Amino acid sequence: MAQLLDREPGLGGCRRRPHHPVTGLRSVTTTAATLFLRLVGSPPTLPTANGKRVDWRRPYGVFGKAVQALSRISDEMWLDPSEKGLALRSVNACRSAYGCVLLSPLFFQHYQWSASVEINGKATPSNLNCQLAMKSILPIFRCLNSLERNVEKCKIVTRSDKSEVLIQFFCRHGIKRTHNVCFQESQPLQVIFEKNRCTNTLTIQPRVLAEAIVLFTSSQEEVTLAATPLNVCLKSSHEGSVDLTNSVYSEMSVGPDEFDFFQIGVDTEVTFCFKELKGMLTFSEAIHAPISIYFDFPGKPMALSIDDMLLEANFILATLVVVPSRTSSPQSLCLSQKLKRSDLIQSNSKTGKNVTSKAPECVSRKAAPERLRPTKSSTKTSALENCSTPRMKRAEGGISEVPESSAGTAEEAPGSPYLRKFSCMFFGAVSSDQQEHFKYPSDGLANGSQEDMNDGSFSTF
Amino acid sequence: MKFRAKIADTGCLNHFTRISNMIAKLAKTCTLRISPDKLNFILSDKVANGGVSMWCELEQENFFSEFQMEGISAENNEIYIELTAENLSRALKTAQNAKALKIKLTNKHFPCLTVSVDLLSISSSSRIVTHDIPIKVIPRKLWKDLQEPVVPDFDVSIYLPVLKTMKSVVEKMKNISSYLIIEANLNGELNLKIETELVCVTTHFKDLGRPPLASGSASQGRNPEQMAEVRIDVKKLLQFLAGQQVNPTKALCNIVNNKIVHFDLLHEDVSLQYFIPALS
Repeated sequence: MAQLLDREPGLGGCRRRPHHPVTGLRSVTTTAATLFLRLVGSPPTLPTANGKRVDWRRPYGVFGKAVQALSRISDEMWLDPSEKGLALRSVNACRSAYGCVLLSPLFFQHYQWSASVEINGKATPSNLNCQLAMKSILPIFRCLNSLERNVEKCKIVTRSDKSEVLIQFFCRHGIKRTHNVCFQESQPLQVIFEKNRCTNTLTIQPRVLAEAIVLFTSSQEEVTLAATPLNVCLKSSHEGSVDLTNSVYSEMSVGPDEFDFFQIGVDTEVTFCFKELKGMLTFSEAIHAPISIYFDFPGKPMALSIDDMLLEANFILATLVVVPSRTSSPQSLCLSQKLKRSDLIQSNSKTGKNVTSKAPECVSRKAAPERLRPTKSSTKTSALENCSTPRMKRAEGGISEVPESSAGTAEEAPGSPYLRKFSCMFFGAVSSDQQEHFKYPSDGLANGSQEDMNDGSFSTF
Repeated sequence: MKFRAKIADTGCLNHFTRISNMIAKLAKTCTLRISPDKLNFILSDKVANGGVSMWCELEQENFFSEFQMEGISAENNEIYIELTAENLSRALKTAQNAKALKIKLTNKHFPCLTVSVDLLSISSSSRIVTHDIPIKVIPRKLWKDLQEPVVPDFDVSIYLPVLKTMKSVVEKMKNISSYLIIEANLNGELNLKIETELVCVTTHFKDLGRPPLASGSASQGRNPEQMAEVRIDVKKLLQFLAGQQVNPTKALCNIVNNKIVHFDLLHEDVSLQYFIPALS
């Protein structure tokens, strides 16, 4: 591979080849879409939207950090290329957190992707249904500092014949490091979330958020973001936890002028998973970009976003529903949620479900069912298994609707009490033909299925 | 029962944070005694602690610009609370760039020590951080177990060598044996000894000073060459040494032969006494 390093800026176009030649007959589920991209150290500097020049000296670091951030959400990740760029997606087992890092084609020195495969002489749109285990890919992008120092070029290619991703590092002194990572065929999920329709939007520098994060121990499960037009407060959340008397309650309140952007339309408090916040913060610190937080009321998902010239990262997180009890003390929040929990358990038995199938993650651990993340030990069969319907193999472009997540009618929906709390996380399979398939029966979504994807008001990630 | 105090000086705040870090390393749960002029961190010699006890004392006016307290009654104008030491040190750690720090006793559904910090921030609005540390109030009848330990009539009293050196020696010794003998004489010699079936290791420290003797003490008239020794658990000694992040202003060690070793340290104006009993 005696390729000279090509440093012309702007050489990052995406070339779609609609008639990608495929030898022989293939079943429709075989991956034939390909991805070929090349990262180069010290790529050209590019101006950012606000005029500052960004010096992307560390593309491997950014890629590696993106993978690490997504590993906070799940043990698996999809590589999902499209004309918009390469999307790295992951969803946690309980569908309460979703992450996507979209790397623009300009991020790569060379970005080539084909979206369809020729089958029986007919070009058929097909996604690269590539799901990688974090276990396989994290170690490859582990020692980021040494990667930055030694690697001159990194090539990532998917093969059309095997379910493998080839990752090659061309290092100094002629050393070439090759990894072949097998992937699982699985259609990526994506979340429909109208970021720009949220009434509350905050943008903050990672440094400020980092100072708030140190308040909490790593054992802190959930945190609450409380916002009023006068100030914003991040505090520890102890909903229903029995060891109230043993854990420290911490809060930090920050005034509006510490934010790059501050818009609070409605006073609100949303509680979400701390781990995911830390994951997004680490990523934003690595790329020196501010984090935007979009949220509304408890129960509605919120978004943590980074919007940059070359990449867009979004974590969509479910938030806890709270029984309306508007005192600000954390302990009363716990009590009110205890009430809510018992309601759910009753109604669960009413619907004739197997009551013992209360998800163990929900109930047994510290008697706090409203866990936003799964615990590690999910060996018992439970209602929660419904939510970890893993592989939604679809032939092509179909909507895979996860019934328990389309909880617009949260009260009656079957499924674990846990999941009913997380309304409005709508999942859909990524389709190569995006326009056609946005017909969700639930009225939670915009009815504008013909809406252009890029008008900002109705965005998919 | 009331307690409110405020630290306004950065130097005092850092010093208080260091003390709190040290306590967190020495004890998991400890008692905080609040009295009109002092604060004490106390660990009493229960079996749970392996017989180790600690008494740390600081004068409140060296730290706090404001200090108000009201004990449980007029005759017993003191407050004894039990807390997890690490919670306090962690809360104080977030007060690195604070304009001011306030501590008070509160009762938000259960008793808490609330630490609230006014952080310096670049913008005009200040950032306020609050920590509610859960505590347990210790009832009056248990106070007798938490009094200042009587310093025993010791046989040998000696100044300690540099604690960091001692710590690195003891750290290595811990890998070889669980028990360690600490012995010293009035000639300024201190030895740390471990003995196993295969090996004996002794580290000798010489020319350590001797603190002035109190008159009538047991060590008067004692042969200066004669060693007094105590056999102790090496991990306890290591825990004590690991807690001393900063070199103390004064550090001395008192030994009662085969009974107990008593460490008496002074960190600027805060005194720390630590007792490790002999293993039977």
